[in-house]
Amino acid sequence: MNDYLLVAAGVLAGPVIGGLVSGADRIITARVQARVGPPLFQPFYDVAKLLGKEAIVVNVWQAFCAYAYLAASVIAVVLFFLQSDLLLIFFTQAVGALFLVGGALTSTSPYSQIGAHRELLQILTYEPLLFFVIIGIYLETHSFKIADILRWPEPLLLKLPFLFVVLGYALTIKLRKSPFDLSTCHHAHQELVKGLLTDYSGPFLALTEVAHWFDVVFLLCLCALFWATSWVGIAILLIVTYLLEIVIDNVTARMTWRWMLGYVWAMGLALSLVNLIWLYAAR
Amino acid sequence: MVNELSTILVLLPFVSAVLIYLIRVSAIRSLIVLVTGAVLIVCSLLLIPYAPFSWSPHALLGVPLHGVVQVADFALLLIILYFGYKHRNLVIQVLSVLQIATMVYLEFFMVRGPISTDIFYCDNLSLIMVLVASIVGSLICFQAIPYMKKHEHHLHLEKSKQPQFFFVMILFLGAMNGVVLANDMTFFYFFFELTTLCSFLLIGHDATEIATKNAVRALWMNSLGGAAFAIALVFIYSDLGHLDMQQVIRTGPVAGLYVLPVALLVFSAFTKSAQFPFQSWLLGAMVAPTPVSALLHSSTMVKVGVYFALRLAPAIQLNFLSQTVAVFGAFSFLAAAALAIGQSNGKKVLAYSTISNLGLIFACAGINTPEAITAGILLIMFHAVVKALLFLCVGTIEQSIDSRDIEDMRGVYGKMPVTALITVMGVLMMIMPPFGVLLSKWMAMEAAARNIYAIIMIGLGSALTVMYWARWAGTLMSDPFAGRFKAESQPVLTWFVLLGLCVGCGVMSFAIPWLYALLVVPALGGAYVPPFTVREGILESGFGSFPIVPLCIVAAFGFLVSIWAVRRAARARIVSPYLSGAQTSEVGTFRGPMNQPVKAWARNYYLNAIFGEERLTVWVNLSAGVLLALMMGGVL
Amino acid sequence: MFKSFIKKSRIKSPWLLHFDCGSCNGCDIEVLACLTPVYDIERFGIINVGNPMHADIMLVTGTVNHRNKKVLANLYEQMPHPKVVVAIGACGLSGGVFRDAYNVVGGVDKVIPVDVYVSGCPAKPEAIIDGVVMALGKFEDKVKALRTGT
Repeated sequence: MNDYLLVAAGVLAGPVIGGLVSGADRIITARVQARVGPPLFQPFYDVAKLLGKEAIVVNVWQAFCAYAYLAASVIAVVLFFLQSDLLLIFFTQAVGALFLVGGALTSTSPYSQIGAHRELLQILTYEPLLFFVIIGIYLETHSFKIADILRWPEPLLLKLPFLFVVLGYALTIKLRKSPFDLSTCHHAHQELVKGLLTDYSGPFLALTEVAHWFDVVFLLCLCALFWATSWVGIAILLIVTYLLEIVIDNVTARMTWRWMLGYVWAMGLALSLVNLIWLYAAR
Repeated sequence: MVNELSTILVLLPFVSAVLIYLIRVSAIRSLIVLVTGAVLIVCSLLLIPYAPFSWSPHALLGVPLHGVVQVADFALLLIILYFGYKHRNLVIQVLSVLQIATMVYLEFFMVRGPISTDIFYCDNLSLIMVLVASIVGSLICFQAIPYMKKHEHHLHLEKSKQPQFFFVMILFLGAMNGVVLANDMTFFYFFFELTTLCSFLLIGHDATEIATKNAVRALWMNSLGGAAFAIALVFIYSDLGHLDMQQVIRTGPVAGLYVLPVALLVFSAFTKSAQFPFQSWLLGAMVAPTPVSALLHSSTMVKVGVYFALRLAPAIQLNFLSQTVAVFGAFSFLAAAALAIGQSNGKKVLAYSTISNLGLIFACAGINTPEAITAGILLIMFHAVVKALLFLCVGTIEQSIDSRDIEDMRGVYGKMPVTALITVMGVLMMIMPPFGVLLSKWMAMEAAARNIYAIIMIGLGSALTVMYWARWAGTLMSDPFAGRFKAESQPVLTWFVLLGLCVGCGVMSFAIPWLYALLVVPALGGAYVPPFTVREGILESGFGSFPIVPLCIVAAFGFLVSIWAVRRAARARIVSPYLSGAQTSEVGTFRGPMNQPVKAWARNYYLNAIFGEERLTVWVNLSAGVLLALMMGGVL
Repeated sequence: MFKSFIKKSRIKSPWLLHFDCGSCNGCDIEVLACLTPVYDIERFGIINVGNPMHADIMLVTGTVNHRNKKVLANLYEQMPHPKVVVAIGACGLSGGVFRDAYNVVGGVDKVIPVDVYVSGCPAKPEAIIDGVVMALGKFEDKVKALRTGT
């Protein structure tokens, strides 16, 4: 019975929490830019409108990929709520990311193709970082299972500060914030029209948007693990982190993939190495 | 009963091979191949309830077996020496003379009395290898029948070379079964060298200049491993007084077996599995016909090396050798993945991916915990099936479009939808949960988490892996206006094998909880405590859990929903991809300057500046050499 | 119930495609001015997407000429239903002062169906916003027309 409730909570958390966070993101971004910004429920209106549009496709397999992306992201969040294995959840959400890329690659438009390759490079950049964060959590709590991690008596942030920064890099890339919004972006024009998402439209674009909300929920849950001992702690951590992301988004410009790969891997590896060595030494 | 089954598994291929060579009627040859394969599959399945067992036949047709193998061994080494002369390769000549001299010294001057209690020993690890070699190997040989027919048609050969081809292919299956069942190390050595010879013959099958060159390279690199093996045998016999593999492993480095011979054995495993810096023979072997690449160079022969490493793993627990093998394996995993990114040649991508996965299995053997060994065994099983599938798919596509470059496979879905879909399915089975390859990788990662060097390299390698597979799968499907679906026609055997491997991997992935309990747990033997408990289809260990069966069910449901979405989308309005509004009615073309139609095209990122083969290979080989020196030097 | 939410969302989340069909850029600057913090049309949920496949409303400025009429038609065709077109400025309505030139087609409605005309040379941002809001009211008719097949 408990399990079913958790599954339902996971399935609902995506749209509800993800959508509200997305809406709050747009309002805060607008205020930072001296504008008023849309209403809080704007993302829901966007998705509903897209669902009501005519279905047009460039390649029928785009439909497959959009649904698969959504399915994988939902399963990742549900597994998280069921407190399953963290590494497994990481691989599950990676499935979704790959289907998004695959759907873009099925279109022959150069915008889609280049956007898809930039997205692959982004995935290449953040995957090792998320992986090292998970390994760090394992080394500290001696388990990959979220149930055990939640039982850990002290906040993980104390022993894994650098890994939290590394998680911040991965978060910036996954949330598609500048300077890493190469493949597609929420706000203004791309130099690639809409990059990866150019040829997705209508209901399928709506599905990718909802899947992105689930990804946001997954990442926020991962951040929350770093102060899992108190609800107030989680709230503070998430709010501060997300506000920082919005500020970084607004003060930086979009960079090239070469810079992203080089800089993020260099910083990410260095910080991870230092933190992981601390954890090894402490064992 | 079990003795008969084992005899059939090892000897029948030899007999069939001779028949194939003598009877030059193609229909009968195909029949022999099909029957041999079917019998091998059935026998290997029937063997399951009998493991573990040991078996020591004394004579073959009345001749003492030891004598037969001794003679055959020297004959084999002389044949290799002959090829060394024929191709004027000094290294092969030196190595084969060295091996002959060592074996002469061993057999005639050292050995006094029986050298092993059991000649053949089959525990569950051997059983798994027998199943893989017999089932996957036979299926590949089945597909080789239509493939070679078309291959020779393409080459406009007047006189068919298929008798020689199938002679060696089927003989090889016998050699494989012999290698994994052998317990007497001289027998192991004989079958080991036999696989080397088969590889040489098959790589050079097409007899072009480049094929011969690459075959010679394969021969000398594998002979290097053989020489190391022979020297190790001398050391082991002088230390322990016997050459019984099980007893050698049980003794371990603690009770008097110096680590050096074991390190030499591991070295020979490295050369057999084409680890760095010996990877060039495997890459060169890709010039062979695709069934050869599938059988020898991904699913079976190169697995001998990793099988051997897993077998030796209990003997090197808690030893410096184990540590270095772990680091070396992880390095291979990372370096091969990096090199694959810079490749646009489809078969070379598959080759690098094979080296990468073999490196991961070596790392598992080196990490040497129960989780790691389980991961290694599962990875052997699943990788063999999926890689065979991918090679055969690439072979089929290559025969249609006359190219093995990924860029030429762009949009091949338009021409060959079913093959393209099966290939994409194969790629998905390599990199995604809940399938077996990803499960084993997950297991290996969780096992490696306590080894900092290994885990960092594995983490980076895994991300690189994802990139080159996703790129390839997307390229295959890059066909606009793909609403229509007209299945292409292929020979029945091809469909049977491709679909069989594809569906088989899916079923095996679902059945992992049962495979684990039935096959893997007994394979761990007494040296390792089974790490996972199986409960309601969920694999659970002390620090990790993988709900296989629930995830499979949910994934299947998601898959069906997505297929339903595709069918609905087939009725949707199909529009041109976005080309800034300048698209013409012709697909993928836009109106350019002077109102002329221009074809829009894109090419994949291969990142040659960073991951290009020429650039990276030098550094990778250098680093691998350093690591090898570290391993061997540390042992001394 | 969900249907009425979708109906409401079409009005609350109109995404624009802005296309310049040979305009002097006067009207285009006024359109872009609407996106700036002074007018901030994002508070109505309006986003300027550059991609017809994501757009609901197409704002067209400029006279149409014989070179870009195909592009205009292609873009209109790539927009998924329901969609509305707003022609902006005197040029968009009828060709403006350039009506008689040899290369000018003379107005957007000669190529694609137009739903709202916003006059002016250039049209003021307030007028453009008014035009867009009027276009939002047309969505329901479009949906009905789709269903009945006209």
